[in-house]
Amino acid sequence: MMLADFHVHSTFSDGKLTIPAVVDLYGQRGFGAIAITDHVGESRTVIGKAAGHLGLCLTKATFPLYLEILKSEAERAWRLYRMVVIPGVELSKNSISNYRSAHIIALGIKKFMSADGDVADIARNIRNEGAISIAAHPVDSGKFEKQTYHLWNRRFELAQAFDAWEVASGDRLFPEVLNSSLPKIASSDLHIARHMTSWKTLLDCERHPEAILDSIKKQKLSFRFYRDSKNDNIHSDIHSGYGSLVESRSYRSSFGDYRQSLA
Amino acid sequence: MWSLGVIVHLLGTIVSLWPEKSTRQNPPNIFWEPISILKPLKGCDSGLEENLSTFLDLDYPSYELLFSVASLEDPAYMVAKKIIERNPQIAAKLIVAPVNLGPNPKVNNMVRAYEQARNDLVLISDSNVRVDKGYLKQISRYMRDKKVGMVTSVISGIHGEGLGGKLEAIFLNSFYARWMKLLFRFGKPCVVGKSMLFRKSTAQRFGGINVLARYLAEDYMAGQAIKKLGLQVVLASEPVPQIIGKLQFKDFWLRHIRWGRIRKSQVFLAFLIEPVLFSFNSCFFGAVFLETILDSNPVFTFLAQIMIWFLLDVPTLVKSGVKPNCRAFLVWALRESLAFPLWINIAFGNTVQWRGKQLKLEGGGLLVTA
Ligand SMILES: [Zn+2]
Ligand SMILES: [Zn+2]
Repeated sequence: MMLADFHVHSTFSDGKLTIPAVVDLYGQRGFGAIAITDHVGESRTVIGKAAGHLGLCLTKATFPLYLEILKSEAERAWRLYRMVVIPGVELSKNSISNYRSAHIIALGIKKFMSADGDVADIARNIRNEGAISIAAHPVDSGKFEKQTYHLWNRRFELAQAFDAWEVASGDRLFPEVLNSSLPKIASSDLHIARHMTSWKTLLDCERHPEAILDSIKKQKLSFRFYRDSKNDNIHSDIHSGYGSLVESRSYRSSFGDYRQSLA
Repeated sequence: MWSLGVIVHLLGTIVSLWPEKSTRQNPPNIFWEPISILKPLKGCDSGLEENLSTFLDLDYPSYELLFSVASLEDPAYMVAKKIIERNPQIAAKLIVAPVNLGPNPKVNNMVRAYEQARNDLVLISDSNVRVDKGYLKQISRYMRDKKVGMVTSVISGIHGEGLGGKLEAIFLNSFYARWMKLLFRFGKPCVVGKSMLFRKSTAQRFGGINVLARYLAEDYMAGQAIKKLGLQVVLASEPVPQIIGKLQFKDFWLRHIRWGRIRKSQVFLAFLIEPVLFSFNSCFFGAVFLETILDSNPVFTFLAQIMIWFLLDVPTLVKSGVKPNCRAFLVWALRESLAFPLWINIAFGNTVQWRGKQLKLEGGGLLVTA
């Protein structure tokens, strides 16, 4: 049984922690797998270009370094913590309208992918590259931030296009996604260490990238709220050690063969 | 706009004068980790033999010199060969192994030498710098701090001949030196490939120097990679003198077009605000502003501001070894007046001339042959 987080940012986009710092953060807490998923913006829109110039997105230029550092950090994470690090990106289509904005996560990537074009084509392209596609925070995140509703508005048409839809992002659980029949995943969208207290995915598979991605595709997973005592000032006195799972709020994935022993 | 330029300039002067952390005193009986010095050579720069000779008797317990040239025909080949033959006491090698990993000729030239380097600590040092005996100790002491991933140095310009050479020297010794220190002080390191000390084991974590072959500014990207690993890039306190030699005005202009276009492709937003920080622009707006509120003579206030600006640059110039006399002022003023026209020329275009090749720049400093 292992805890996993498949939506994490680093200083390669708008995260505040370097990749090695992220690896240590999760590794020291005994996580079994994480995916680093920095933003890639659109190459043709003004917002996308500006984000690239401001260093808020991965670009074609920084991408080779990103992949190399992920590779060496995956080795270090395995050596030190027996933790799997999966290379990913969050292809980010940002428009002034929330209804035209969409964030798509690709896990297990091997080369640069662009966020240009229609979301259906992007999702297809991700799978063609042997990676898996996830619809990130598809509904109202309940926070004061840019919202991305485009995928949710086309959910009937795109239901098969994604391997999973985020049922939770950060500390928010999305009832719309939870009550749907779409395949699901829960992630933190971590940008700073404090985001460690958030929803995570629990897997029961071999600690190997392919086995992990396969569990997502086959929906052999469940979701847990993880409370991090070290970075959580409210609950810091309750728990010893780094973190704990909040058992009372775990949800059964609609397709997964949920194991009772988790609870 | 006027005040922004002035504030930044004042800040630059303060940073330039700021006392360095006193780590100058080296404790006795310290272990100096062996260093491999990479010297990628290309053509015979002015004073090449003298430049390389300064690396023969450095005050450092153990180091090796690895010269590399792209071809046997390169005139630098004979120079390096002669130096090695005449100095058998020095651990030195000459490597001729052209590889093609990407469009950056400097990286291609030194990749084999890098692979053959025996030590973990590697120094990339350009052929046109001349160092003093204590150089290796000066820079390597920073590497004892495990948080430091790379040490680079401010380059000062010496022996500039011809109008282009003089302009280049004054540029390095004033505007450039001030900005280097300012950027480092505010955590935006800007590494200079002319002097770059790091560990092979660290570079391995971002794929080794091979990855850098696809960028025109391999030094800048190396610094970025070090930062992404959570390590620091530090600026050594002593400047490293670079021999400028004879340059025509056109050489100076083209060189700045090249570096300007790289800068533009890498940090576009910073490039956009550059004109505000140029002395002539800033003083021009200052003069107009003073005329509106005080009804002063704009020509007089403009000249007075330029003089003050120069005086504020004097400490930086002195630190780089320049006598701040009338001649220096004239060259300085000419260089400052060229900054904006140069910027305009840089703004229109994305190609650069480098070592006889026409290259096209993509966003982020990626290179494509035009
Ligand atoms: Zn997002
Ligand atoms: Zn995100």
